[in-house]
Amino acid sequence: MSGSGQAKAEGLPQALVQALPEALAAELRALPLRYPQRRGALLPILHRLQEWRGHLDPADMRLAGEIVGISAAEVFSVLSFYTMYRQRPVGRFPIGVCRNISCWVNGSDKLVETVKQELGIAPGEITADGLFSLQEVECLGSCGTAPCLEVESRYFENLTPDKVRALLARLRAGASDPAAAIRSAQNEA
Amino acid sequence: MENYLSTEFARSGPLLLAEALNKGRYKTAQRVFELMTPEQVVDEVKNSGLRGRGGAWFPTGIKWSFMPKPPLKGPSYLVINADEGEPGTFKDRAIMEKDPHLLLEGILIGSFAIRAETAFLYIRGEYLTAHDALATAIAELEQAGFLGDAVFGTKHRLRIVLHRGAGAYICGEETALLNSLEGRRGEPRPKPPFPAVYGAFGRPTSVNNVETLANVPAIVEHGAAWFKSVGTAQAPGHLLFGISGAVERPGCYELPLGTTARELVEKHAGGVKGGKKMRAFIPGGASTGFLPPEKLDVAMDPESLKKEGTMLGTGGIIVIPEEISVVDAARVFSRFFRHETCGQCSPCREGSAWSDQVIARFQRGEGQREDFTLLEEIMRGSKQRTICVFPEAFAGPLGSAIKHFRGEFESAMTTQQAPHA
Repeated sequence: MSGSGQAKAEGLPQALVQALPEALAAELRALPLRYPQRRGALLPILHRLQEWRGHLDPADMRLAGEIVGISAAEVFSVLSFYTMYRQRPVGRFPIGVCRNISCWVNGSDKLVETVKQELGIAPGEITADGLFSLQEVECLGSCGTAPCLEVESRYFENLTPDKVRALLARLRAGASDPAAAIRSAQNEA
Repeated sequence: MENYLSTEFARSGPLLLAEALNKGRYKTAQRVFELMTPEQVVDEVKNSGLRGRGGAWFPTGIKWSFMPKPPLKGPSYLVINADEGEPGTFKDRAIMEKDPHLLLEGILIGSFAIRAETAFLYIRGEYLTAHDALATAIAELEQAGFLGDAVFGTKHRLRIVLHRGAGAYICGEETALLNSLEGRRGEPRPKPPFPAVYGAFGRPTSVNNVETLANVPAIVEHGAAWFKSVGTAQAPGHLLFGISGAVERPGCYELPLGTTARELVEKHAGGVKGGKKMRAFIPGGASTGFLPPEKLDVAMDPESLKKEGTMLGTGGIIVIPEEISVVDAARVFSRFFRHETCGQCSPCREGSAWSDQVIARFQRGEGQREDFTLLEEIMRGSKQRTICVFPEAFAGPLGSAIKHFRGEFESAMTTQQAPHA
């Protein structure tokens, strides 16, 4: 396979980059140039790989390590420190409900209950159709607009159970293009 | 003094460069780059008494004066701490989402003051909307020649690297943030060496909070005397007070330091939601702990809150209503701190987990008399025994809860006597 849409990365293991779109591979190779030491680019590289795949698997860890010059094991040591990096697949719409103080005082537990009832999943689970997953997250900095949930770091604020039900319906309707669905749901909110 | 931090907060999207220029933005930065010396900027900020708004309240001008002076033996860096994560705090987000150029003008002036040609803007990963607003604003500045190899056409160079974190409260601690910026686990570093000597990528670095830098353009424009005309003698200027929890009008309010908590909660935020009574309030973010409503007349400045045994922190007030018990609220925090300890120092890793278990016991109505002693011992055994002040942070809500609201914990004790009690 050597289609024109595939990466011809220099200095990177061909097997690892083959699946990447060429533009993404080029972007990943350029990221270390922004930092005084290549390793500074590790978090941004992991963010971009996760945006592309949906989570990070061992091939991504090897690739990120090759780009910044550390082992896959060390990449794993770093990414496992941070809550935003996912080591296994999540739903197409991963829902994170803030459970910290101001959201909780304003009824975040009711939001979690609503998602549970509507989708039949508990925190940590994915719906059978793969569309949604749920987790409780710590403070999102939305305390003045509480309660809040996030989908791929896009915030939905001043929520009520009814608003959550409407949001889930909108996302479900736009499942073929999740990023666009999240954007349009934000605009309607 | 008119508001100078929150003028754009009512907007729905960010103020763009063209409109910012119409409002006179970047005139001060341009004057700094064309006419001033770094020493003059540092002196003005030092004289103004500006202190760091990230929670530590260290004098900004003094921090900048620790940075190397010519002849420089290599690059110095400005690192902007936009890793806002203290529960109850959302002011930096408002600045970045609504008025990114206010921060960026502060970054230009701050970089000039410490002779940095690269500024790393470390923003928490979840703040994607703020990140996008900043990315656009930085591109506008590059286009306009306000960044790059000839800032404002002068011989000065500056680039800003926007860098996303990935979810870790501890990265708000400045040396953890530096490790994270370098692509490492966000574990705080032993100090010394301090960042001004050995910071980002081993180079001299000043780490400054978003709101702190947002104060700088106005200080340089109007002068130190203007800045000192409001606030308290030891903590001058305005602060963005976040008010959240059970209040009628939660939000960010720009007011002079030293404004009372009562004025903030009752006048500006409209009082407790639904006209209910207040059980407790938290003066400045999770780690500052609980105060009873009788303390509402406390002035919101670092010195006044220190006298009450707590801190101003980030100035994020959280109101707990009557119907919520402090035991339950304390559990929200103990669970949070247990989740967020980085784990490298055992007293903190173990202490945060043990204290959460003890609070959970009270929450189930199974607390025991000796649990009070146990909590005290955990706090005593972990404070000042670790690389950073995280144990002080988790002790804030725990210690204040059992001090001011002990009765609530006593009624959450098991009725059965422990066998050895």
